[in-house]
Amino acid sequence: MTDIQHKTFLFDATRCIDCRACMVACSVENKIPMNKTRIWVAGVGLKGEFPALERASMVYHCMHCNEPDCLSACPVGAYSKRLDGPVIYDPKKCIGCRYCMNACPFGMPHFDYDKGLIDGAFIDKCSMCTQRIDVGLEPACMATCPTGALMFGERDELLKYAHDRLTAQPARYLNHVYGESENGGTSYLILSHVPFKELGLPELPSSPVKDISEAVMRLTLPSTLGVGAVLTGLAVGVHMVNQKKESGAKKADHSESSAQKTK
Amino acid sequence: MKLEIRIHPRFHLKPLVVILLALMGLAFIIAMVRYAGGIGAISNLSNAYPWGFWVSFDLYTGIAISSGAFIITAVVYIFELEQFRPLVRPTLLTGLLGYIMEVIALLVDLGHPERIWHYFIYQNFTSFLLVIGLYVMAYAAIMLVEFAPAIFERLKWDKLSAFIRRFMKPLVILGAVISTLHQGALGALLLIQPAKLYPLWWTPLLPVLFFISAVAIGLAMILFESSLSSRYFKRGLEVHLLGKLARAIRFVLGLYLVVKFGQLAYAGDLGYLFTSGLMSVLFWAEILIGVVTPLVLFSIKRIRKNPNGLLIGSIILLLGMIMNRFDVSWFAIQHPDPLTYMPMFMSAVHYFPSLPEVLVSVGIFSAGLLAFGLAVKYLPVFETNEDQHDIVS
Repeated sequence: MTDIQHKTFLFDATRCIDCRACMVACSVENKIPMNKTRIWVAGVGLKGEFPALERASMVYHCMHCNEPDCLSACPVGAYSKRLDGPVIYDPKKCIGCRYCMNACPFGMPHFDYDKGLIDGAFIDKCSMCTQRIDVGLEPACMATCPTGALMFGERDELLKYAHDRLTAQPARYLNHVYGESENGGTSYLILSHVPFKELGLPELPSSPVKDISEAVMRLTLPSTLGVGAVLTGLAVGVHMVNQKKESGAKKADHSESSAQKTK
Repeated sequence: MKLEIRIHPRFHLKPLVVILLALMGLAFIIAMVRYAGGIGAISNLSNAYPWGFWVSFDLYTGIAISSGAFIITAVVYIFELEQFRPLVRPTLLTGLLGYIMEVIALLVDLGHPERIWHYFIYQNFTSFLLVIGLYVMAYAAIMLVEFAPAIFERLKWDKLSAFIRRFMKPLVILGAVISTLHQGALGALLLIQPAKLYPLWWTPLLPVLFFISAVAIGLAMILFESSLSSRYFKRGLEVHLLGKLARAIRFVLGLYLVVKFGQLAYAGDLGYLFTSGLMSVLFWAEILIGVVTPLVLFSIKRIRKNPNGLLIGSIILLLGMIMNRFDVSWFAIQHPDPLTYMPMFMSAVHYFPSLPEVLVSVGIFSAGLLAFGLAVKYLPVFETNEDQHDIVS
């Protein structure tokens, strides 16, 4: 997946200090109300016994999958994947069915449960700050990160950089770049010293979850024709057999066949 | 054909009508609150559980129990088993109302019900939700046309009625094809959540399993409805006919068991059968109630010949299969445990429907019952078949 040329985040869990400046920066930049957020810091909290305490946290927002499941699931095509990386959502098309929330294995899209018809209830999720990257700036969360836990750049370069870090400090990290192949590759790469599960990341195969759904969808037309042909054949066949029977019965017993013919 | 309808309700309908109307009104008020204050104002749906009771009950259960319509039309028009004709209209009416009820429920569940026409202008054909929407509209339209002769007969538009009846066979085939796809697509709708739906249920064969179980549900619905209506409207029960359907159900359920356990064995998931705690319990409850018990009951000749046996067998089957629909769309959907620092809006990983949420569905269901009662009263739905031989009671 290294051949894809587009923008990507790299997150290093060993550098994150859980200051949540990224959450503030995101909400300010994207004008998100106080009771909502597009980004959050997740973790399992303190682990171990004093004095050997340990804590890990992760900045969680849209993974910007290379092959987005939300895009596949949306009945009205409100999602699109930009060539330069971001998975973006078009509120003008959205009908509010929330199937994308079911489809996303990371549970990223959020819905306005508190808005009625007049306010308009929409899905909200990280847009990779397209308004900023379009003018050559970095996303707000990355720009504000004080420890360099979040980085932003071209996917191939960051992937190479991540692997360089793993080889340079093998004791510091688990030897895996999350997002390199997970769910078909994501535009959010993660390095960690604790199991990725403890950062709230699901274990996923390298094929996106939408694959089987789309493969079955391709069977729709063949199965339409198949079922149609079988039923038509059955209808014609049964009718012919019945007619034959009826004409045979007519010869044998006229009165019974007329009783059989109802209405 | 006799147009005369003779219905002798055994009990007074009046108080029931009042209750149904009250429930409808309540649901309407709750829906207005939802349109003003958002889905969160009336339901416990959350970001972790975007779909809940409405989807399990109105969509999955509603469409499943509407499957009687395509089964009965196929039996009569494709297999030409004319004896079943008296069951066509009541079953078709149930299916039609079931689909209409689902569309009404969708208008509450959708975030933007006013944009439902987007289904026709922005179409994403990788989405099973899109094709399901299209199937619902298409099959509801077909059922309406199939049922239309009953309305035209009442209006004495005999020519129009005869015109439609000439095209019944192709219409039924088209309807059965769309219905097959629709029932399968409801299973396929869950394919996109392999990471969330428990492995006892998630399989690429979900569409096949959904179709097979829809056939069983459809046949059971025919038993259930004709048993009930024969009681309420003092009609004779076609026990002889229904016994035949019960015999057919055995084969469908047998096939379901083979596919279900064959798939689990093939996928190497048999280990989950006894080791998954609550999930194992749910799975076995669903299989024992919905499949094994009716399979055993309908294998006994005495039960197949007994009106009560048929009714009870079909109720057990329906309960188990409805449980299956609830399992796949709600109970067996897994969410990761809340992490310590998840914000409030993500930490609601437990879901139980709120009272208003359930009342919306109850209100819509009441409307369906009322519509059924009215249709039966004013349209030739149940034909009086006094020349039938199989009348019992």
